Amino acid sequence: MKHFWAVLFLLVPIFGVLAFVLAPYYNHSFPRDISENGRVIDQLFYFILYLTGILFVATEGALFYFMWKYNGRTNREPVKYSHGSHTLEVVWTILPAVTLLFIAIYQMNAWADAKMRKPDVPVTAEITGRQFNWDVRYPGPDGILHTQDDIILVDGEIHFPAGEEVLLSIKAADVLHSFFLPNIRMKQDVVPGMQQYMWFKCREQKAEVDIVCAELCGWGHYKMSGRATFEPRSEFNAWLAKKYAEQQAHRITQATAP
Amino acid sequence: MRALALVTATAALVGCGKSEPPPFRLNMTNVVAKQIAPEHQQAIANILGAMFGSPDEPVALKETGLDQIKLDMAAGPVWSDKVGTKHGLYRRHCVHCHGISGDGRGPTAVILNPYPRDYRPGIFKFKSTYTSAEPTTADLMKTLHEGIPGTAMPSFALLPPDEVAALVEYVKYLSMRGQMETALESHVADELNPGDKFDPANDPAIQKLVMQDLLGPIVEAWGRAKDQVIAPEDASIPQDNRSPQELAASVRAGRDLFYGTRANCVKCHGPTALGDGQQDDYDNWNKATNEFIKATDDKIAQIDSLKADLAKAQGDDATQIRQQIQDAQKEFTERHALVSRLLSPRNAIPRNLREGVFRGGRRPIDVFWRVSSGIPGTPMPASGPAAEGAQGTLTQKEIWQIVDYVHSLPFEPASLPQKRPINSSEVSTGE
Amino acid sequence: MSTITADSHAHAHGEHAHTGSFLSTYVFSRDHKVIGIQFLFSTLIWFFIGGLLALGVRWQLAYPWSDMPILGRLLFSAQGGQIAPETYTMLFTMHATVMIFLVIIPILAGAFGNFLIPLMIGADDMAFPTLNMLSYWFMWPAFLAFGTSFFIGTGPMSGWTSYPPLSLTIDAQKFWLVGLTCVGISSMMGSVNYLTTIIQMRAPGMTMFRLPMTIWAMFITAVLQAFALPVLTAAGFMQLADLTLGTGFFIPEGWSWNNTLHAAGGGQPLLWQHLFWFYSHPAVYIMILPAMGMVSDIIACFARKPLFGYKPMVYSIAGIAGLGFIVWGHHMFVSGMSPVLGMTFMVATMFIALPSAIKVFNWLGTIWGAKIQFTTPMLFALSFVSMFIIGGLSGIFMAATPVDIFIHDTYFIVAHFHYVLFAGTAMAVFGAIYFWFPKMFGRMMNEKWGKVHFFLTFIFLNGVFYPMHILGWVGFPRRLADPYHYETFRHLLPLNQFMTWCAIAMVCSQSIFAINFFYSIFFGPPAGRNPWHSNTLEWQAPSPPGHGNFDFQPVIYRGPYEYGSPEVDIDYYPQTMPPPQNRPVAAPAH
Repeated sequence: MKHFWAVLFLLVPIFGVLAFVLAPYYNHSFPRDISENGRVIDQLFYFILYLTGILFVATEGALFYFMWKYNGRTNREPVKYSHGSHTLEVVWTILPAVTLLFIAIYQMNAWADAKMRKPDVPVTAEITGRQFNWDVRYPGPDGILHTQDDIILVDGEIHFPAGEEVLLSIKAADVLHSFFLPNIRMKQDVVPGMQQYMWFKCREQKAEVDIVCAELCGWGHYKMSGRATFEPRSEFNAWLAKKYAEQQAHRITQATAP
Repeated sequence: MRALALVTATAALVGCGKSEPPPFRLNMTNVVAKQIAPEHQQAIANILGAMFGSPDEPVALKETGLDQIKLDMAAGPVWSDKVGTKHGLYRRHCVHCHGISGDGRGPTAVILNPYPRDYRPGIFKFKSTYTSAEPTTADLMKTLHEGIPGTAMPSFALLPPDEVAALVEYVKYLSMRGQMETALESHVADELNPGDKFDPANDPAIQKLVMQDLLGPIVEAWGRAKDQVIAPEDASIPQDNRSPQELAASVRAGRDLFYGTRANCVKCHGPTALGDGQQDDYDNWNKATNEFIKATDDKIAQIDSLKADLAKAQGDDATQIRQQIQDAQKEFTERHALVSRLLSPRNAIPRNLREGVFRGGRRPIDVFWRVSSGIPGTPMPASGPAAEGAQGTLTQKEIWQIVDYVHSLPFEPASLPQKRPINSSEVSTGE
Repeated sequence: MSTITADSHAHAHGEHAHTGSFLSTYVFSRDHKVIGIQFLFSTLIWFFIGGLLALGVRWQLAYPWSDMPILGRLLFSAQGGQIAPETYTMLFTMHATVMIFLVIIPILAGAFGNFLIPLMIGADDMAFPTLNMLSYWFMWPAFLAFGTSFFIGTGPMSGWTSYPPLSLTIDAQKFWLVGLTCVGISSMMGSVNYLTTIIQMRAPGMTMFRLPMTIWAMFITAVLQAFALPVLTAAGFMQLADLTLGTGFFIPEGWSWNNTLHAAGGGQPLLWQHLFWFYSHPAVYIMILPAMGMVSDIIACFARKPLFGYKPMVYSIAGIAGLGFIVWGHHMFVSGMSPVLGMTFMVATMFIALPSAIKVFNWLGTIWGAKIQFTTPMLFALSFVSMFIIGGLSGIFMAATPVDIFIHDTYFIVAHFHYVLFAGTAMAVFGAIYFWFPKMFGRMMNEKWGKVHFFLTFIFLNGVFYPMHILGWVGFPRRLADPYHYETFRHLLPLNQFMTWCAIAMVCSQSIFAINFFYSIFFGPPAGRNPWHSNTLEWQAPSPPGHGNFDFQPVIYRGPYEYGSPEVDIDYYPQTMPPPQNRPVAAPAH
């Protein structure tokens, strides 16, 4: 086959596009989005995906076409003795430059919403990453963190109120970690000695999602799983009250009995 | 290009073999320390194999009361060809620290502080029972559920309940197997001479001895655990609706105990309660390592003194001493080979009480249990009674006062501890 | 071989004619070609080791905690051959370390830079031959230090980025840092040499704009190294001091780990990230620019057509290098660095895509209207273009800061840099080996098996790396020994198994290359001076070139890409061929 290699290179855009088209049908795409801000990130991702997809098909297609058409074995025309084209260079410099600048400006707002415009609400909880667990500390009945009535949980089951802005103060106890909520499209590294904030709003009333550690924190990095439960404010408060009561246990209760 | 095929084939051959199923290993420090003869080692391994099976195929002996289904779920290799079966939980989650035999010597153990628990002595730190009793199932569940904050033990709360139950059962199984091994080794070392037969399969008397005298007490202790839970007397439990003055009084009493000579918490936890008191003690597991190392070093001295004796001795004496030197040297060689493989001893560091996070839990009842039954295996002593009805160092009321004091300590960020002594004016009473 | 007989003068290998023992000729040689080939062999061996480490990683991801072939059986037979999590961490750390510091950087600058620079500019050797020799021999302490680090405790296991404070908890990191420093010293010696040689030792007529793209790329790479490396070296020493001397450059105040409080403090873990990426982002271009240069030369040669837009290509390389210094922060968008700074870095990062795009368009322009010869080097070069498009475009996703919040530290990143570094650079390196092999060893490599090697590698590399984009789309994080703990990622196991088998097949297909390579060194057909009918200078020298390279004084009349010129009857026009006497010298159009 004279054009074997050209055809081989044609497979790249075909399979490349096919993979991204088919993956969502097998649940191999974004995990379910439950947040307000996540939608913007998803849209931006798809925008870039379509844009790069078009460029991908165009350039790979041109590569294939030239490989087919200008195959030395079949092309009988003399080669085009050309050292380049000033016009073309200008065109393919300006066009991508404008596009890239557009993307850069277009996304600034989403970035600011996600990382710069800290909402003016009290801190819902303080999360501490340690080797290899996510500990959470809720302010107790007095509403102030780091007092004796704090509710401290170390089992990785973290609850948040749904439908309202959640502000987390996150820290690291030993090494770098990264608090990653795939379903919220939110991620923040935590650095020992530094205080970070993270905020998001769950738009579903009830949801249970994974908490992932996304920054290498040692041999047990993969063990740092947690589960975030979102529930309406009333249920969240009830859950918090229950945890507070459990924490005050002086007796062998249902929860502590064998 | 024919070589090409050859190379590929060789590579495939090297890669495709399977590892042998891993066996349980004997506690060699014990075996060497007790100088158990090879044929007796084999006999012990055989007995344990018959009673407890292997890591791939555990046996829940009727007498032990273990649950075969749970053990099967927890044991075996992680990877199974059978679709949908739960399998190999222990080796997926635990083995790299706690080791295939539950000896706390998995490959990861060496980089941890504190070292992972060795299940074989059957001693567990955080439990609701009297100091010398076994933990309850609920205690083990709690440890799996919350992990042990401040150590490398993470929480396994996200595992389905049946998997947690299977793992707890497997931990008990490893623990019983380890206790049984120790019992067998002690029996062999104390009762048998080299060359004595030790084969329960063909000797009903030995079988009875193994099952009743050795296994019996172990199983019984585990079975009794749920009756050994320390339940605080209602009268001693502080009221929920205490006035700030009452609470402050209790905290003050607790503080006096903390610094006093009877409870003497200050000795280890330090005047700041940051855990900066005596820090050079060891827990039981590390003490055992220390002893083994020391005994090994002593062997050198023994050999030297025997050699000095030999120079003076004559005739039969000399032959005897030569034999002794040979024996001592053999033991030394065996010990020396083990010493390099031991985890180097690490100090037991007292807990910093001002982080609000306690390894065994932070509820008042948890702290009460910690003070009352101590932390078995560590320098933290039991201040409460050693068994039902016995007399403890402290009364339950006093223990609750200490609990109140510990809970009143101001939090310090772990990253910036202030080494100020805490005087009573700084004690927060929630006022 | 220690004595030189009269016979050897007649031998094709002319370098024997010069004085010197076996040791000074082949081991402690100061000849740039021998040094280049020493670099080539050393790095190829490490390439093999790095590939095996990657297979270990892939095995764990496909069959977590199962009986791992070879490694599991060797080290973990006591627990049924399943590896420990710290071993997995060590595997991916060392895979990246070996591939980046012991393979890609030294094979590009060390092997090809050394071999090609004097030959392509018409010099008889490097400006500083002894320094050049030292630059190779300083790799050996690095080999030893990295090699030893495998066996210290658990091995280095804080990723190739060695982020503190995690890295400060690992003993083996000391050796790792020493290795890193030695690689840095070696690179530094190389880059000083390359810069001087290219500026000072060009043959008569070889103006800067008559240099082949390979040399331009090597030149700008050397500039990058010379200016970025000192920062990494200093940072490396600081981390080493934290580890050994008890300083606290990267340790926050009152930091305790493993229940031990560290006395020193007052440092900042993020400082390391800034210093590290200040070198390591330019290093990414150190790892791709020379490949781009070599690919440009190979494509022009087999397109039988001048390179499209020579000067824009040069300017875009310079542009990449310049911008490369101000984009390091894009590795740190979610690290805790100020988000305002993130925005600045994002804009700079967006613009670094521009010169890369210009290069791709120009490569396409080069094969437009060509007569393409599908030789093995050309196939590898074309696949570089095809794969670099993917690697380049996926970069735009992570330059977009909000999207990066999601895909940061997921397999999307892994896909991106493997498309650039393996599908890009490594494929270009294969192409370059097939292309310059005749010059290095005087013999041709087998074309048929070369194409088989290309075909299998091309198929399987896409099988391994393309699905990584999909994994990243789901948010599948990097560096997890058992990602299937998480419900979100549990269904990705079958895809990972597919990728693992592609990886195994890909590594196996490299045996074709290895056999072809070694067989051809001894039994390949003799190549002659210019088997590819190429224009550039090195092809006018004997194959392999003797000591001093050229058996004539090269004089350069034109640029390197005069293929299909109407001025001559043949379809190429070597840089040294004098113009026809009866016509005035025509300046080549740029």
